[in-house]
Amino acid sequence: MQTLARGQKGKLADLGSTDNVEIAIQVSGKSPSALDVSCFGLDGDGKLSDDRYFIFFNQKDSPEGALKMQGGKYGAEESFGVALSKLPGTIKRMVFTVALDGAGTMSDLGPCYVDIVIGGTSAARYAFSGADFGQEKALMMFELYFKDMWRYSAVGQGFNGGLSALLKNFGGEELSPAGAAKPAAAPPPAAAPPPAAAPAAAAGAPKVSLSKVTLDKKGGKVSLIKGGAGQQQPIHVNLNWDNPNAGKKVGLFGLGGAAPPPDLDLGCFWRLTNGDKGVIQPLGNKFGSRHAEPFIYLDKDDRTGASSDGENLFIMRPDLIDMVVVFAMVYEGTANFGNVKGRLTLKNGSQEIFVPLNSPDSRLTFCAICVIKKNGNEVEITKEERYFPGHPECDAVYGFGFRWVAGSK
Amino acid sequence: MAVSLSKGGNVSLSKEAPGLTKVLVGLGWDVRASDGADFDLDASVFLCAASGKVRSDSDFIFYNNLKSSDGSVEHTGDNKTGAGEGDDEAVKVDLSKVPADVQKLVFSVTIHEAESRKQNFGMVSNAFVRVVNETDNKEITRYDLSEDSSVDTAMMFAELYRNGAEWKFRAVGQGFKGGLGPLAKNLGVNL
Repeated sequence: MQTLARGQKGKLADLGSTDNVEIAIQVSGKSPSALDVSCFGLDGDGKLSDDRYFIFFNQKDSPEGALKMQGGKYGAEESFGVALSKLPGTIKRMVFTVALDGAGTMSDLGPCYVDIVIGGTSAARYAFSGADFGQEKALMMFELYFKDMWRYSAVGQGFNGGLSALLKNFGGEELSPAGAAKPAAAPPPAAAPPPAAAPAAAAGAPKVSLSKVTLDKKGGKVSLIKGGAGQQQPIHVNLNWDNPNAGKKVGLFGLGGAAPPPDLDLGCFWRLTNGDKGVIQPLGNKFGSRHAEPFIYLDKDDRTGASSDGENLFIMRPDLIDMVVVFAMVYEGTANFGNVKGRLTLKNGSQEIFVPLNSPDSRLTFCAICVIKKNGNEVEITKEERYFPGHPECDAVYGFGFRWVAGSK
Repeated sequence: MAVSLSKGGNVSLSKEAPGLTKVLVGLGWDVRASDGADFDLDASVFLCAASGKVRSDSDFIFYNNLKSSDGSVEHTGDNKTGAGEGDDEAVKVDLSKVPADVQKLVFSVTIHEAESRKQNFGMVSNAFVRVVNETDNKEITRYDLSEDSSVDTAMMFAELYRNGAEWKFRAVGQGFKGGLGPLAKNLGVNL
């Protein structure tokens, strides 16, 4: 049995088969959530253009039976049968995936493997474990693909966004964030192993929510869940980003020293229901106020992105808000939004909302990340991710009507 | 006419492209779609004397030293993610300007920080190296890094070497452990 390293590729013919193979998959882990194994039959563009080739527990056979989910076999948790000559010519890749439904990440995986089984014997094995991964919640473990002939690849790469991000990568329909739970009768990709637990939109009795919601798409919305006695809870907004210059040096032969890390600023435009409005940001030392209006304040000015805390903004009285636009600015350093992987996390009691900046514009230095807005009895967060040259242009769109002058730190 | 290369294959450039004077070696790959550290592939060239080693450190053309002093070799710059269509990095060679004491040019492709990022060419989608005749823009040959060097992290891709009056091209396809540092040291660069 050949041992395969992550990234390794080879020809199926070299393993002894050009037609019928089985894929045996052993996954286990210490995360509390279930591990769901599936197979995506993709077209030549790497897209799931035909839902009938998404093989999972609710759809175990492809229409002609060339790709089948077989259950446990050969001592492994799950297995697939593949009859390559029976596959339609449109299917050019089969990606074997595992996704976590709920808490935990792939770093919680125990010893796992994917075997190519030919004639009942394991011909090759890609072994992996949690030590190979970090924040991923879905993995492309292994793939069979056609390029002049059938080949295999030990992929071992994944997505922090879980099944939703995996589907997006395959051009499939994205699962919607909490607050618009899809019915079970929806088309296969959306009825896949249940999405990260979607809490019912907060209404009436308070609910403890352990959900972690990702607002992937612009316009994605979620309502804040109220605490006990139906009160709005303080929102902790955290901005963090990577330092793309870590380890890089400048100058000829790298003798100019460490490249400066990027400086991002977190701030917000705010307007309360009583009409009062203002701006909070480090520029001009407008750090806000915790115990007086607007009850919104900035924690610290982290100028490097190296701090695991990033920058923090606290909104203590969301019930007094009419509208808040949370923004980030790239202030210094050679970076831009394109290479810092900015991300916002909003924590509201036990509810956590993750807003990644996943379509950055590297030419502009001001980003309106999300809007927090009063909507009847609810407070809603909507992902904006809109880029502007600066404050005035953003203000023009959101209509706060401030007067702008140049400032510096 | 494009020839697809496999390891150790020999291609006489003068036969494939008679009168070849300007060559472009292009490196391309796809931006990482999954989550994790970017794939940062780097193209480099070493101008070597008959000894098989560089004459001086400035004969090592890479992302921190983009032009050779005699103007024969030029690197188009560091691409850190693979963003962009076609060649993401390129090295242009004007064979007529290569000094007489340079007997061969060694081309290498390495993955930046491969050890710490735990990456190899197999993890990168559509990684390729190709050689183009710059005079007529015809691709002479192409090598598929993702498929044929899947478990490597650094490799000497090819050599352009003098053979009498003509230049010959040899596909080396030799994987190298440890990355650009050991590879460069091996060719006589002081690091």
